[in-house]
Amino acid sequence: MPVYDRGYTHWQPSGGTTLPAWLVIARRGVSEPLKRRWLLLLILMAWVPAIVKGGIIYFKLKAGDLADLLGGGWASIGPDGFLSFLEGQRFFVFVLLAIVGAGLIAADRRDNGLSLYFSRPLSLVDYLGGKAAVIVFFYFMVTLFPSYALCLLAYLVAPGATGPDMLLLMPLRATAYCLVSGMSIALVLLAFSSLGKRSIFVMVWWAIMVTGTEAIAAVAGGLGSTGLQAVNFLGQYHNLGSVFFSTEPRLEVSVTVSLGMILVWTALALLVLRRQVRPVEVVS
Amino acid sequence: MDGSVSKVNPATTVPDSGIRVSDLTFAYARRPVLKGISCALERRAIGLLGPNGSGKTTLLRCLLGQVPLSRGQVRVAGHDMAVSARRARARLGWMPERGGVIPGMSGVGLTAYLGELSGMPARDAMQRAHEVLHYVGLADERYRRCEDYSQGMKQRLKLAQALVHDPQWLFLDEPTSGLDPQGRVSILELIRDLAWNKGLGVILSTHLLADVEAVCREILVLKDGVLLTREKVDGKARDPRQVFEVEGFGNEEAFRSGLDRLGAQVLRDNRVWLVTLDLDRLGGGDAGSGFDAGVGTGAILKVAAETDFALRRLRRRPVTLAEEFYRLVEA
Repeated sequence: MPVYDRGYTHWQPSGGTTLPAWLVIARRGVSEPLKRRWLLLLILMAWVPAIVKGGIIYFKLKAGDLADLLGGGWASIGPDGFLSFLEGQRFFVFVLLAIVGAGLIAADRRDNGLSLYFSRPLSLVDYLGGKAAVIVFFYFMVTLFPSYALCLLAYLVAPGATGPDMLLLMPLRATAYCLVSGMSIALVLLAFSSLGKRSIFVMVWWAIMVTGTEAIAAVAGGLGSTGLQAVNFLGQYHNLGSVFFSTEPRLEVSVTVSLGMILVWTALALLVLRRQVRPVEVVS
Repeated sequence: MDGSVSKVNPATTVPDSGIRVSDLTFAYARRPVLKGISCALERRAIGLLGPNGSGKTTLLRCLLGQVPLSRGQVRVAGHDMAVSARRARARLGWMPERGGVIPGMSGVGLTAYLGELSGMPARDAMQRAHEVLHYVGLADERYRRCEDYSQGMKQRLKLAQALVHDPQWLFLDEPTSGLDPQGRVSILELIRDLAWNKGLGVILSTHLLADVEAVCREILVLKDGVLLTREKVDGKARDPRQVFEVEGFGNEEAFRSGLDRLGAQVLRDNRVWLVTLDLDRLGGGDAGSGFDAGVGTGAILKVAAETDFALRRLRRRPVTLAEEFYRLVEA
């Protein structure tokens, strides 16, 4: 029997809800990595610092040692403590985003997937928005969502001591900071991903961008040069975070310089993405 | 198919479901690929023929609105592709030659995913993915990861993803590339069924003439970015100059003179006469609808009867699409 004897029928729309294209891309981009058990394990490990910090908060609040908690340091429940917690998550941010984000565009370029995507009714913004949302989601998984959990825990354990700030203001600060940093980091990582066709090369570039610049800044700092701290990629986001959390700057460069660096990286990333992400590759 | 035969029809009106291209010009990095192409296409099976590098794939990409035009206008299914390409693409299916599958996904997952990206609700997309995978013959393989598919299965999967959102037009770029003869035939059967029985417009880009002959009603021939000609694919010959093989006995001198009066060119190959007649001169048809070989046969029979030349054999030497195509391209 020829295969076409099964017959081709025209589609009759059921009238169901249609998701925006970027959300379809994001949903698929999030669900595919979550099928890997070892990635779930990594995310769980990323929550260990939050669990430890939650334990400390619990015991200190229960023990009535509130003064320590309201002061500075990683274990505190003040704005400084939350920013310190987010800073401490940078290893997991680096590893998890490398795993999840490196292949997002590289794989599409390798397999001519861009041609498929752009044969559908979606725009460049839809495509990049969907891909960026995947990175932002996993970024939130190791930064924002644990922060929410900590805020909720602190409020539940000692509502009187922490006040409504812990339920409203701190989550707002964390959300604003994570949104800004997450979007910018996502665009930079996507730009790296769009430059190659193999994830491993993208990971190498990402590692140089994150750990390489941090090492340069550390060495320069050790030699007494503070100016080179401006090249520390993730450090600039933490430095900018001091504005969101109303704390002291984290680096010896001003917040304005950090903001400038972040804007430059983001603008460069957008330029690269605009050039690289298109359905037809132009070889000149 | 020479200079006098039908050229493209820029002025022809087509319904809203058709394609209208006017003065389409496109260049990759300043290298011109398409040069002033104009044509109007009705929704039917159309073959896009041309040698490698002639601009076939680029023309399809322009029709999809994937590349910005240097000059000219493309309207597909009533949409100006410079203005509303995204809306138009909801009604277009694209089967690329290279790649076209996203590794890590099952066949049904990929098809449903691309259906959703075409604007279908998730449930409809999944249901429709199952249907089209059945249709293309991948029902038993739909849950396998698509990177494990054979070449033939990948081609079918690419056809399925192009069909999932029920497009009006299907743009197929070398759909039989890399297939064995059996796989090729079955893909062509599917495409023919879609175009001839299911009302889809199909543009089949290929350099395999047999594929075009099997599926298409008309052809566009591209060379060096220029649309050389547009022809109907049917039983009638498109070249007014046709060759007849004649064998017989009798008054050869008188027969030869009679053929000369028809304006025929005559060559003798042992006992066989090769008679080339210009049917245009005999009034055997026209460029648009093709030429009726019966006019030439009748003229030769008449000369033979008048000159007492007994015919043993008279047949028109068939002119294949391949012969016509190569003559045109080489010209």
